[in-house]
Amino acid sequence: MLGYVIRRLLLIIPTLIGITLVVFGTMALAPGDIGKNLLGDEGSMRPQEREAVRRYLNQRFGLDKPFYMQYLRWLNNALPLGMVTNEKGEYSRLAFKVPDLGRSFVRDRPVIDMVADALPATMLLQVLTIPFIYAIAVTSGVLAARHQGKLLDIGLGTTFLALWSIPTMWAGVMLIGFLANKDYAQLFPTAGLHSTASDRMAFLPTFVGGAFQRGWLLDALWHLAAPVLTLTYAGFAFMSKVMRASVLDNLSADFVRTARAKGVSEPAVLFRHVFRNSILPLITMASGLLPGLLGGSIIVEQIFSINGMGKLSLTAIEQRDFEVVLSITLVISLLSLVSILIADICYTIADPRVSYE
Amino acid sequence: MGARIGLVWVSVVLFCAIFAPFLANSRPLLMKYDGRWSSPAILGFAWTDASLLILFILGITLVLLRRIVRARWLVLLAMLFAILVPLIAYRAIGDGDTARLGRFRQMQIAGQLQHVIWAPIPYSPEDHLRDLFDRARPHPRPPGGENVLGTERIGADMLSRLIFACRVALAVGFIAEGIAVVIGVVVGGLMGYFASWVDLLGMRLVEIFSSIPSLYLLLTFVAFFGRNLYLIMLIIGLTSWTGYAYFTRAEFLKLRKQDFVQSAIAAGVPTWRVVFGHILPNGLTPVLVSLSFGIASAILTESGLSFLGLGPEDSSSWGALLNQAVSAGGGFYWWLAVFPGIAIFLTMFSYNLIGESLRDTLDPRFQGRAR
Repeated sequence: MLGYVIRRLLLIIPTLIGITLVVFGTMALAPGDIGKNLLGDEGSMRPQEREAVRRYLNQRFGLDKPFYMQYLRWLNNALPLGMVTNEKGEYSRLAFKVPDLGRSFVRDRPVIDMVADALPATMLLQVLTIPFIYAIAVTSGVLAARHQGKLLDIGLGTTFLALWSIPTMWAGVMLIGFLANKDYAQLFPTAGLHSTASDRMAFLPTFVGGAFQRGWLLDALWHLAAPVLTLTYAGFAFMSKVMRASVLDNLSADFVRTARAKGVSEPAVLFRHVFRNSILPLITMASGLLPGLLGGSIIVEQIFSINGMGKLSLTAIEQRDFEVVLSITLVISLLSLVSILIADICYTIADPRVSYE
Repeated sequence: MGARIGLVWVSVVLFCAIFAPFLANSRPLLMKYDGRWSSPAILGFAWTDASLLILFILGITLVLLRRIVRARWLVLLAMLFAILVPLIAYRAIGDGDTARLGRFRQMQIAGQLQHVIWAPIPYSPEDHLRDLFDRARPHPRPPGGENVLGTERIGADMLSRLIFACRVALAVGFIAEGIAVVIGVVVGGLMGYFASWVDLLGMRLVEIFSSIPSLYLLLTFVAFFGRNLYLIMLIIGLTSWTGYAYFTRAEFLKLRKQDFVQSAIAAGVPTWRVVFGHILPNGLTPVLVSLSFGIASAILTESGLSFLGLGPEDSSSWGALLNQAVSAGGGFYWWLAVFPGIAIFLTMFSYNLIGESLRDTLDPRFQGRAR
């Protein structure tokens, strides 16, 4: 298995190069040259500012160099391992360094700081969503398969197909419009991840002066409820059908027939034999699920005003801050790749029969 | 059974897309002015209106001819028309009549028209109803009065925008997925047929494009290239081909070893003919099943992009209408959320139902199972 992991890791390298090429290429292929695109709102800057920006861009990208030189320079800056410049400004040696993702001109901060601020919010959403998706999908899939053909199965199947068809943005807007609105029912907070008073709250729920105070933890969970709900429903609706199909496939397999003939009780057949084999397609699907969740969180962050990577990207586009957009896409793609890799490795652990074809 | 519901809604959307200028138009369908009859609606056609109607009529003619002419010629003719008619219409008509859409209403109020027949919804989607401006009732107006489903923020009638948005949805669905299918089948076919290093390279390509979340890549493209409907369709196509490639590759790998292919190769049939004439027709089943889901996902992606404010400028799109539902000040306009949302939901649901039925019918694993 170690051999498989190493081969898989080695095969990631061409994919990595490909991703960085695609991301950089969208900027390089755009109408106008890189300098014009990254300068953005050139007309509104004073001459000194424009000069400073040009000098910065030239030093970073080499505006007059050919495409492959610009790409290699950008790659060198963006990776944690690269050539470092010495005092004279020339490239001297290979070393580990902090990735330099550029500088935002609108907010005058290094991009990597902005990414470090925004990434935890997005990751929090993802990390909370995935266990919920799997928990609900697995239970409902097994339930539906056990009672195949009956009302529960057909009802669940149709409900989940309908749920899966509801666009994330509509669900989010309806949630925030009807359930987070004081004109209708205010079950959820309107925006953000924390109330304004949350800094002064205790961590756990307490009674302060005779009144119930929510506490930081409960407050955060209450704010997270609606966004996580919006992200999970599509995922578990889809996964549930996959799980159901997989369990049905396994229930008619030979080894189950043998187990039943041996006299193993039905729950034991289900949980000890069928279950472990049925989970495998779900782990494969995880590789497709995670990029989808990252994309979906753009919409959720926009609706619920959560300051994550998606919202940062959108505001950057509005403010024509292109380096931010580029760096965010790069970071998100790398994250996505890492999660696909983890999903693949988990699959190898779960299924000893597999080997890299 | 589910597929029938799906087909009904898709037909409704198709009908709205083709006959939109007759359903919702600020120009009367027929009027008598100065003693002369004229049809401002037809005279004011844009190239999209004209080409869709002409293609519809040509399509019906081709279908009626199927007993006389071979199917292969009909398909080729259909593709030829689909490309030529819009081009000719664009050169000949351009954007049609876009000036002062309220003038026919004013002519009617002034009593200059002897006879008028309006469209069922007498407002075009581009008509911002400036002559009906009423400070007491600011836009967006709730449903009621002359606007059956209300108006949106700049004053355009909601129902007419919903109807014209069917066009954008269907166009994006078919064209974007068409591009994706072509790329996916070609790449997947090459990977499956030649295997070896082609397969390895192809799998890297598939991995690259399935790792980058498509919405982020779309955002980056829109940021650098601007907001163009055709570009968006192209990019959605360029990011959704990986599923088709995967299925086609699996089918080709399987079919390559079959006897009928081996005997064709042994008989000296040229490679391209083996691929297109023998393997491809038998290997397209999973692609067809995925196509329905793919169209749903393309429509969803375009709506998402419009919802985020990055779709084509000022075009009617369900996502763009949904975007206006929640305003920054905390106001919530329920009619801007409910109706476009239902439209997107029904379209997605229909394509998913059709896809499910296709999968149940065509997937060989399901055929032997007791239901």
